[in-house]
Amino acid sequence: MIVLGRLSLTLALVFSLASVVFLLLGVRWDRKDLLRNGYYAAYGFFLTTVIASAVLLQAFLKKDFGFAYVAENSDASLSVFYRIAGFWAGQQGSFLFWLLVLAIVTIVIAVLDLNRLERLTGGAVAVLAIISAVFASLMVFDAGSNPFLAAEAGMQPFGLNPLLLHPAMVLHPPALFIGYVGVAVPFAFAISTLLLGRADKLWVRRSQKWAVAGWLFLSLGIGLGAWWAYVVLSFGGYWAWDPVENTSLVPWLTATALLHSFTLYKSRGLFKHWALGLAAATFWFTILATWTTRTGVIQSVHAFGTRPLLVWILSGFLIVSAAASAGLMAWRWRRFASHDEVQSWLSRDFLYYVTNLLLTLFAVAVAFGTVVVPLLMDKTVGTSTYNTVAQPLGVLLLFLIAVCPLLAWRKTEGSELRRTLILPAATMLLSAPLWLYLGFQSSVWGFIGLLVCGFALGAIVQFVLRSARLAAGPGRSLWSGLGRAFTGSRTRTAAYVVHFGMVLIVAGLLGSTVYKQESSGLVSTKVGSDDAVFVTDDGEYSFEYKGTRDLPGEQSSTRYVAEFEVVGEGARSLGTVEPRTDIYPVAGAAVRAVILGRPFQDIFVVTDEPFDGESETIALRVAVFPLIQWVWIGSILLCVGAVASLWPKGRTQEQEARETQVAGDADGAGHPDGAAA
Amino acid sequence: MRVNKRSRTRLLVATGIIIIVFVIGVVYLVQRQGAYYSQVADLTTGQYDGKNVKVGGRVLDGTIERDESGVHFEISDLTGKPDTVAVTYDGQMPNTFDAGVDVVVMGKYASSGGLITAEQLQTKCPSKYEGQASPAAQTGP
Repeated sequence: MIVLGRLSLTLALVFSLASVVFLLLGVRWDRKDLLRNGYYAAYGFFLTTVIASAVLLQAFLKKDFGFAYVAENSDASLSVFYRIAGFWAGQQGSFLFWLLVLAIVTIVIAVLDLNRLERLTGGAVAVLAIISAVFASLMVFDAGSNPFLAAEAGMQPFGLNPLLLHPAMVLHPPALFIGYVGVAVPFAFAISTLLLGRADKLWVRRSQKWAVAGWLFLSLGIGLGAWWAYVVLSFGGYWAWDPVENTSLVPWLTATALLHSFTLYKSRGLFKHWALGLAAATFWFTILATWTTRTGVIQSVHAFGTRPLLVWILSGFLIVSAAASAGLMAWRWRRFASHDEVQSWLSRDFLYYVTNLLLTLFAVAVAFGTVVVPLLMDKTVGTSTYNTVAQPLGVLLLFLIAVCPLLAWRKTEGSELRRTLILPAATMLLSAPLWLYLGFQSSVWGFIGLLVCGFALGAIVQFVLRSARLAAGPGRSLWSGLGRAFTGSRTRTAAYVVHFGMVLIVAGLLGSTVYKQESSGLVSTKVGSDDAVFVTDDGEYSFEYKGTRDLPGEQSSTRYVAEFEVVGEGARSLGTVEPRTDIYPVAGAAVRAVILGRPFQDIFVVTDEPFDGESETIALRVAVFPLIQWVWIGSILLCVGAVASLWPKGRTQEQEARETQVAGDADGAGHPDGAAA
Repeated sequence: MRVNKRSRTRLLVATGIIIIVFVIGVVYLVQRQGAYYSQVADLTTGQYDGKNVKVGGRVLDGTIERDESGVHFEISDLTGKPDTVAVTYDGQMPNTFDAGVDVVVMGKYASSGGLITAEQLQTKCPSKYEGQASPAAQTGP
């Protein structure tokens, strides 16, 4: 079986390279037969990748520990769910999973194009095949990345890292990889359209849904990762500005700007340079993420010595893709110029522009702190530095996305602006008592940020109401327009939902970082004694120790559960919390936090060190996170919004879409396919 | 045409100002708050007194103490030199923290008393995690 896996991978590499050659020649000479052959080669690539993946999957399912990779990431005691998760638990398998998703996406694009055989799509599939070839060659040539190596004789299965035994952690890596592949599609189309010199809207139309899907899965992946860190890692937070987290946030930021640029590109022929640049940058940052987390160069430059092939292939790919994108853009710069300029500061165009600029700067700053600072400046920056940049920038961006839809295109009249700002100003003032009630006056900046959240909420309501009024038309009731405001345009509905989600996320992030309260101390395990009670620093909550019991856990571990009664203000009992320690026979001990949800806050309880039935003291740590639930609700809304915009259109909408499509093609007729390519 | 050109110049100037302010801000922050990478043995030279440092070391057996102010322990140099430095940390301990484990601490170093007051503490996990600095690192791409 190992041989079959390795053979399929090698064939996948050959097929992807063949596909690249056929497609590039087909595009160059405008020959449909060559394009078709290129797609057939892509079928071969797809099939061999599926076979390789199936081989690895069956090895996990059948507990075939003859595969070194299976033995490293699984053991006999794991349930089926977690045995499947072993597939992407390590580097080798995640490369293969990535290749599989790439193969699926490539084949869908190829099949959809089989009766059109466009040069644009042919070029894009060629770019996807090049990316596939890079990943396939990593697995074929770099032993440390190959999932098909035989285990050494007598090797014992390691099992899955106990921290990864959580549903969020099973879904987080695949969500990110799917997101990374999703945003590779607009990159592929951008390169293809640059090569062909087609400055029309076709490449955006072909790749927009993929970009939205990529963004959806990136959001989902980041959200799941944060939630897992919060409930499982037990470090008293959900975001540590760790390189792994940062490098997944960076492409999300640029992808967000990309989606906005696509909207303007499609509707008004603006932001063409932005769209191309952001498509290239987003993809590039996903490769940078892999380079950062997989080569280990950031941790130590010695990685060059220990894994030369991995480092050189990925570094080379980073350099080549950056140089190719930049070179092509410079070459075609004039052709992609937009004819409409920003005419007024008070226009939607200008705020879109500033939003794009700030999102890009945000991404660059995070990448700079994560990669450039440790690598070239021999320094490192911590959480507080990232927060100093991210908090004001996040609030500013929220303000912009709130105001932006309320402004008119080109120029907004002052009187109209004042009218639209009444409602947001009102909700801002109305939110103030809530923030005061929650005690948020302790930080001026946090308070201002939360007021902006209140403002943004009103702005979204105003946006919906205005669309409803427009949809209802003169003389009709607002209610009749309200339904149509939501069903009229999927993009607009998605904008309402996603922007509302962002209001909740920013408020939740501010609440849970600026106003986090943390206290710790030792609690005696002598039930009933004075020392067996822990009081938080602000005196708001006390925790009384009630006893410890043990239970059997996963992977033959023992789980020790300490019970504490939580008492709030006025000696009111709020229930019990049970922080845990899991003691594993091989991997050691892990402490597990528990969370007591309260209105407007979470009480996060964990012990600072493992304990068991014999411990004389328990080192208790209590963190209060205000508004944190809003982060999770907001993240769900982001995904709901993205799904809404991806949802297949109804019949009337399809009709409309087809009409605009015809208009779009007419628009593109001015640039014959591949002129002067 | 002329209006167009003027608005274009205005936009470029505005963009330039935003970028310059932003870059200066970020570089200033990194200079001010960034921590120097160093080895335990480097700290004895005195050049890092009162500065933010990020140091890797092995937690020495029998030095871990816990009291109300946090956890106190000593780490040894990873390059084989005999130097050690004391660390005090009052934050959530990573799950894998224990004597003999390699940790990376980040915080302010004071040469008097040879003590790092750590703001961040990460453990380098056992070989299983491919030498990454945090368990989360295992799950990335």
